[in-house]
Amino acid sequence: MNTCERSEALRDYAFDELNGADRAALERHLPTCATCEAELHSLRLTTATLRSIPDREIPQRIAFVSDKVFEPSPVARFFQGFWTSPSRLGFASACLIAGALLVSGLHRPTEIRTVVQTATGTTPAGTQDVSGQIDAAVAKAVAQVRAEDAKLTQNVLAAAEIKHQEEHKALLVAMQESMDVMQKRMGAYTSLASLEINPNGAGQ
Amino acid sequence: MILRAVEDADLIASARKGNVEAFNHLVSRWEKRVYNYLLRLTGRPEDSLDLSQDVFLKAYQNIRKLDDPARYGPWLFRIAHNEAYSMFRKRHPDTSGDAEMAEREPAPGVSPEVSIAVNAAMDRLTPEQREAVVLKVHEGFKFDEMAEILGCPVSTIKSRLYTALDLMKAELAPVTNRGIR
Repeated sequence: MNTCERSEALRDYAFDELNGADRAALERHLPTCATCEAELHSLRLTTATLRSIPDREIPQRIAFVSDKVFEPSPVARFFQGFWTSPSRLGFASACLIAGALLVSGLHRPTEIRTVVQTATGTTPAGTQDVSGQIDAAVAKAVAQVRAEDAKLTQNVLAAAEIKHQEEHKALLVAMQESMDVMQKRMGAYTSLASLEINPNGAGQ
Repeated sequence: MILRAVEDADLIASARKGNVEAFNHLVSRWEKRVYNYLLRLTGRPEDSLDLSQDVFLKAYQNIRKLDDPARYGPWLFRIAHNEAYSMFRKRHPDTSGDAEMAEREPAPGVSPEVSIAVNAAMDRLTPEQREAVVLKVHEGFKFDEMAEILGCPVSTIKSRLYTALDLMKAELAPVTNRGIR
């Protein structure tokens, strides 16, 4: 029996369970304590004897995963793969949404027809008021749009008229300038012709 | 050790996503250790094999519940411990799970004298002491890992282990003094 106060630390040391500082302290203590040194030697001999009994080979491989019996069924494997695959989940969600839209599209006309039939069948007073208000609002909106169209057309015509007048004025100015040039040229030709008819008069 | 831990963590991550082959690799890595742990607890090869099957089946079913893949070893041995004690309780409901050791065969490759002495010394221990010795000496678990496997404080585990080793030191003295062959 080890009576040294460090006997428990010694056992922890034998099983490599001491931290750095405690380990270093015990390693300093060992050469100074014959009891602990003998105890450590004895402990190592005992554990070495125990470890000398080797592990047995397993008689047969664990037949768990490698056996088909334990593997998930094809259906289970499909669903296992399904829930773990984002692309498959995404595709399924898209299909679900498309299906919902299709069903919604197929059912909507029937519901509308029912409402219309109900409205024409009963014709409550409130419904007539609403129809009258809607007609008035539509007529007002149409009139407003027509007025805006007429105003716009008037503006466009006025602008076109102004532009036409400006172009006409510019054309007259250009014609006047051309006439002036022609008159000047005619004057020059007349002077030149009178000189050629009376050449002596020029020298007299 | 670090590389092995990383590889185990990768396999666990893959097994969690439903990769059966990754779990199969884990089984092949750990089956011998689990089997020998159970064999040292029960002393019966057939029981140990059946229990090992159950351990890996439970591990596969619960792999998603494993919080820290680095603690796979203690987690797996915790399952093995529970399975073994569940079997003990079924067979001996009145003994609160005490294991009844079967007569062990001498280990191959070791002198019969040493093998018999070790088996006799192990049989003298209580099941709790024997399990502490197996987990520490044969399986090399740290005290905190043993506490996780056995579900008790480190101080209790140390007490069981060191008491067992004191007993075994005396039992094995005749063979250890002559040296191990």
